[in-house]
Amino acid sequence: MSAAECQRGKMAALRAGLLTRALTKGKTPAISNIILGTRAASGPSKDTLPGAYPRSPEEMAAAAKKYNMTLEDYKPYPNDGMGYGDYPMLPERSQQERDPWYQWDHPDLRRNWGEPMHWDFDMYIRNRVDTSPSPVEWRTMRNQLLGFVGFMLLMFGLGEMFPCYQPVAPKQYPYSDLYLERGGDPAKEPEPVKNYEI
Amino acid sequence: MTLTMHSSLLLMLFILVYPLSTTLSPSQQNSNMAKMTKVAVSSAFFVSLLPLMVFLNMKTEGIITNWQWMNTQTFDINVSFKFDHYSLIFVPIALYVTWSILEFALWYMHSDPNIDRFFKYLLTFLVAMIILVTANNMFQLFIGWEGVGIMSFMLIGWWYGRTDANTAALQAVIYNRVGDIGLIMTMAWLATNLNSWEIQQIFALSKNFNMTVPLMGLTLAATGKSAQFGLHPWLPSAMEGPTPVSALLHSSTMVVAGIFLLIRLHPLMENNKLALTACLCLGALTSLFTAACALTQNDIKKIVAFSTSSQLGLMMVTIGLNQPQLAFLHICTHAFFKAMLFLCSGSIIHSLNNEQDIRKMGGLFNMMPTTSTCFTIGSLALTGTPFLAGFFSKDAIIEALNTSYLNAWALTLTLIATSFTAVYSFRLVYFVLMGAPRFPPLTPINENNPLVINSIKRLAWGSIIAGLIITQNFLTTKTPVMTMPTTLKMAALAVTITGLLVATEMANVASKQVKITPMTSTHHFSNMLGFFPTTTHRLLPKLNLTLGQSAATQLDKTWLETIGPKGLALTQTTMSKTTNDITRGMIKTYLTIFILTLILATAPALL
Repeated sequence: MSAAECQRGKMAALRAGLLTRALTKGKTPAISNIILGTRAASGPSKDTLPGAYPRSPEEMAAAAKKYNMTLEDYKPYPNDGMGYGDYPMLPERSQQERDPWYQWDHPDLRRNWGEPMHWDFDMYIRNRVDTSPSPVEWRTMRNQLLGFVGFMLLMFGLGEMFPCYQPVAPKQYPYSDLYLERGGDPAKEPEPVKNYEI
Repeated sequence: MTLTMHSSLLLMLFILVYPLSTTLSPSQQNSNMAKMTKVAVSSAFFVSLLPLMVFLNMKTEGIITNWQWMNTQTFDINVSFKFDHYSLIFVPIALYVTWSILEFALWYMHSDPNIDRFFKYLLTFLVAMIILVTANNMFQLFIGWEGVGIMSFMLIGWWYGRTDANTAALQAVIYNRVGDIGLIMTMAWLATNLNSWEIQQIFALSKNFNMTVPLMGLTLAATGKSAQFGLHPWLPSAMEGPTPVSALLHSSTMVVAGIFLLIRLHPLMENNKLALTACLCLGALTSLFTAACALTQNDIKKIVAFSTSSQLGLMMVTIGLNQPQLAFLHICTHAFFKAMLFLCSGSIIHSLNNEQDIRKMGGLFNMMPTTSTCFTIGSLALTGTPFLAGFFSKDAIIEALNTSYLNAWALTLTLIATSFTAVYSFRLVYFVLMGAPRFPPLTPINENNPLVINSIKRLAWGSIIAGLIITQNFLTTKTPVMTMPTTLKMAALAVTITGLLVATEMANVASKQVKITPMTSTHHFSNMLGFFPTTTHRLLPKLNLTLGQSAATQLDKTWLETIGPKGLALTQTTMSKTTNDITRGMIKTYLTIFILTLILATAPALL
């Protein structure tokens, strides 16, 4: 390309960049923005999608605004490489804990439109995990249940070792245990058979 | 005679399937389907009495193999129905109880716009149950098994707009599925080791095998379906469904399917000590645990549900005692009085404008005489009052317990559970029927509808005479022990009366303050169902779902996708997007530059 065409191309790009900058609302005029311009809208832009971990206070403010939260409420996940980015860390509370009588936008989900969703929202719906406070502490519940089951298993084991049954003895037939009927010698005197006394 | 039996049984199945087929046509205006269903079930009941009479007269049992369905060189699956002692007695009873429940449902669900769909679901359930009960091979039994499980899901979640009902339906399906693992394992074992799913062949070939593995599978299946301890929470949650559903599925028919499976395949269990002991101990534990939970509940349907679970534990105990016929007798008598208890509860609930809390009922004895009389009869039958239906089965079971060689703790638990039965039954009668009313005065309380009264009365007749009729006409194959000390003979009665006295004393004491603060730990244990649902339903789903999420994110999304193909694709698209942005698509400009460059390049050559 000759120098004139280069210049012409650059002029066109500059004009296009200035035009798009005029059309978009007050973005920081970066060099790349002027050269490359801004593409036509084709889905959520980079600004509305979840992004990288916010490092500066301005990034925190921008992220809080993006997620429709106030700066005081917004707290990202710790930056330990697990890929959460700037997504807010909301308290681990299930939807079951929310007020059942309030007029939510989505009554079955107990959620309003535009509210920030928990990372594990699909786990905290009312059909799944419930974190609502129980009348008894978790530790007590677990101990009592396991204690009960353990006690039952122990007692069943003892019951196997010492079973319960009705006393049974061999049948005691009359006539000396049917000595003659069973082919005993009539001349001999049979031994008395006493399995039990009545 | 075989022809009579065969044709009447097939006629009965056809009568039941016909209303279902009318729902397939597109025009459903002014359909009388609900009433037609009730008439169909009642006529099927009368038709099914015919084979029963033939069986009574001649002891003929039949196996009808209709169709060779999936047969290979080595394995046969046929459609075959077994009409023996168990199915021939159970089917008329199931149809009688269903008839009463459908008649009741015509009143209870009257204001529901989808009443026809409700009846369709109930009828589909009934057909699946009959398939289960008459199956002669494991495959057909499995079809019925899954059928009743799915219909239970759809009927519990009938009011699907209510999230609690959805959760309860999910619980039912998931707990049943865990039990199904056992059944499928047993079927697989039978298919690989005995090469057959036909019951006769299984009995013949199993003599030489160690049957512990398939029997444990069957016990797991019964634990899931019949709500034994460990897989029991779905049964009280299932009370989210309408009362006719609770009466039909979760008291009389579906929950006994697990016990029925064990009864059907009992010859496999007779010689296996481990399986028998497992059934005995599991049943005893279930019986006591659920009876203890029933003592402090306040929802009338939940108390009856726990009562059902306790009786199912008792049936499991009977199977563990090697007495399948007694277990079957208890299934039959239990169906009558438990269904009646549920129908009376439904009548009370509707009359009090959908009030289910017993603390807000009372004094109904004067305002709803028929319902309360039948409720009392049902409770008396449940506790084993002499010569009502429950007595014949329950007393026989306790006698068999006392005179057998068995685990002493299982015996203790079952006797304690029997006394608890009296306690919670009295508590129920005391709060619901006795005393002064505790509900608002403006309630639509009435018993004017014959649909309700006739159905409850019919079941009341059954609760009174069914035990006598069945025991008089059918001899047991195992000789019961006739001689025992008087203490043992009267044990069931003594334990029940003790429970009743304790309950009356507690009812007296409960209205006075005898301590400054009550001791709440046992109450909490019982009221929160042993903390079992609270702990397992929070811990296990959380563990599984978090595990699933981390597997999906770290393994699938990162290592299988982003590192490999998707990461590569992302790099490519980013580069192409950047390149595309640079070029900016100014085709005419590019072409002009190209032509100009071409001219400029070739101009010296041309010139």
